[in-house]
Amino acid sequence: MKRIDTSIENVKNEIRDFYHPGLHHFIVMNAVDLGEKIEVQWFFSNYTEPYEITVFCASITPDVEVPTIKDIISSAWVAEAELTDLMNIKIENTEKGFVLEPDFETGPLRKKN
Amino acid sequence: MSRQYEIPVGAQHISLLEPLHFKFTTENERIVNTTANVFYVHRGIEKACCTKFKFRQVSFVVGRVCGLCSISHTTAYSQVAEKLIKIEVPRRAKYLRMLVIELDRIHSHLLCLSHVAENSGFEALFMKTMEYREAFMELLEAVCGNRIQYDFSIVGGVARDLSARVAQMIRDRFKIFKPQLDELVDIFQNNWSLSLKNKRAGAITVKDAMRLNVVGPFARAAGLAIDVRNETEDLLPWKEVGFKIVTETAGDVYARNLVRLREIYVSLRIIENVINGLPESALITETKAFPDGEAVVRLEAPRGELFYYAKGNKTQVLERLKIKAPTFSNISAMVEGFKGNEYGSVPAIIASYDPCLSCTAR
Repeated sequence: MKRIDTSIENVKNEIRDFYHPGLHHFIVMNAVDLGEKIEVQWFFSNYTEPYEITVFCASITPDVEVPTIKDIISSAWVAEAELTDLMNIKIENTEKGFVLEPDFETGPLRKKN
Repeated sequence: MSRQYEIPVGAQHISLLEPLHFKFTTENERIVNTTANVFYVHRGIEKACCTKFKFRQVSFVVGRVCGLCSISHTTAYSQVAEKLIKIEVPRRAKYLRMLVIELDRIHSHLLCLSHVAENSGFEALFMKTMEYREAFMELLEAVCGNRIQYDFSIVGGVARDLSARVAQMIRDRFKIFKPQLDELVDIFQNNWSLSLKNKRAGAITVKDAMRLNVVGPFARAAGLAIDVRNETEDLLPWKEVGFKIVTETAGDVYARNLVRLREIYVSLRIIENVINGLPESALITETKAFPDGEAVVRLEAPRGELFYYAKGNKTQVLERLKIKAPTFSNISAMVEGFKGNEYGSVPAIIASYDPCLSCTAR
């Protein structure tokens, strides 16, 4: 697994430079609650390099909005919507209510909940 | 301009096996827009795995994520946990994992095909396919002890061995099933009204499959040669037992049926090679290590790529477990695949997507 650590300000541009729809497969988006911070991760595989998994990682505080990558990878709306509900983080242009009820207030995958 | 109608389908609907909700906007019976919602079955399994259970118990918990492909979940979890505790699984256990994964794939594909037949209006074909599938449920029970939710893969290896009697039972059943599979292929391929109903229905192109990151038979039917069995030789020796990728090009319901039927032939070959060349070794590698660091595993479940991420912190309980089911990746393409089709084709198209919301929402 190739890990690329970056900042939340730069991650979208880095994914835009990296991703090519005929070459890369967007697997999923993930987040890990580290206590004070949350690490957001974007996983990709490669159609031509079978064992290559690339993950972009950016740490945020819970009040920071994560940029959407829907304009780069249209199918990413599913992963962004799920993470918004389960982690209770803000993702640009993403509303709550995909995996949980829209009025569900807490993110169940956060450590305090 | 014609008048547009909104038609909700699900969460409970006669043609839906899963609690998925679609809203179709139609114009003159043709679908012009679709939205999907999955918020009916979230069970908090990831949370439970990181708070309530020790990492060795988690394989039994994730086996309950899905009744149909529980072996894929238990195996993928066991593999990711084995990476975190840095152990190598015995060779016999790897072969037995492949055996059960392929038996499971056959019964899952037959279930999907039966529902496509039923939703296309062919109840007799539905019953025939389900009858043939029953033999595989019995084989899975003989191998694993359960018809569904088999706790076969465990961290370090497998929980049961394959006896000579059960191996012979598999060989005997295959002799009966092979002509039955030929018969199914003939019907799905050549029945005039069934193929008329299924051809061009719910089609996506290979370009769309790539753009929307589609996985599994859904992608392969459109011509996108993506199968994790091709890419995970380091975890399970798929090519050694005769794995070959199956693709079609049309990307419609008809092509999805053919991909699943042809994949059953591949699964039969893999199973025969596994039981004829089963290596002698222990079934499990014992260790007292605790999971540390982070790891990912991909495994080809019957519906496509299953992805597990795990992070350990040198304690008995995992820091984080993330499960990405194949249907999760296919939701975008499902929504787009309906566009331009007649509303009457919706039931067959939904069945051909083979959605599993139990896995997706976890």
